Amino acid sequence: MDDYQTEEETAFIVEEVSKIIKESVEAAIGGNAYQHSRVNQWSTSVVEQCLSQLSKLGKPFKYIVTCIIMQKNGAGLQTASTCFWDNSTDGSCAVRWENKSMYCIVSVFGLAI
Amino acid sequence: MEEYNSGDEVIFNSDEANTIVKECIEGVIGGTDYDQSKVNQWTANIVEHSLTHLVKQGRPFKYIVNCAIMQKTGAGLHTANSCYWDTATDGSCTVRWENRTMYCVVSVFAVAVAL
Repeated sequence: MDDYQTEEETAFIVEEVSKIIKESVEAAIGGNAYQHSRVNQWSTSVVEQCLSQLSKLGKPFKYIVTCIIMQKNGAGLQTASTCFWDNSTDGSCAVRWENKSMYCIVSVFGLAI
Repeated sequence: MEEYNSGDEVIFNSDEANTIVKECIEGVIGGTDYDQSKVNQWTANIVEHSLTHLVKQGRPFKYIVNCAIMQKTGAGLHTANSCYWDTATDGSCTVRWENRTMYCVVSVFAVAVAL
């Protein structure tokens, strides 16, 4: 009787998600310099691309994707997050990306259904 | 045989969460100036206090609380969130706070747990 799902199909795999995030960020803003007029659509495009790639994985998860884009100006930025969930099934992954003019921090949280 | 109220779905109350988070922020950094040596513990305190108060409500939700504190130096900052969930029961709330020397943005995401 073969009615269980392999662990791979139902676990939150950090490397896989990290790769998806890096690709989405590169595709959306790789090679661009910080531009106030465009940053709105960039951050939207990053989260939407990440989310659509994640849902394509077809895993039984709800996802939350957040993206922060900050101009490099010498300012200090600190972020923290805390989660109240099921440690055995849920997970998160954060990727920090930068180029000469801006920083981009993307976090993905996956919660098992 | 009556079980729990099956017709009474629990929905995330965004206004209540808003109030809870504002109080936590004020409690931790209200009246202080940006201090690089302390900002680490500020963000940790804000997320922990917010989470504790949210959990105390005793609702069937998983929570994610995110906090970003940025020094005011004229830099541009943009944040975006996107969620893939059940729009009937899950929700989020974002609080923006500032004083003379820094900005603080806190986001709370609540995902319903199937009972």
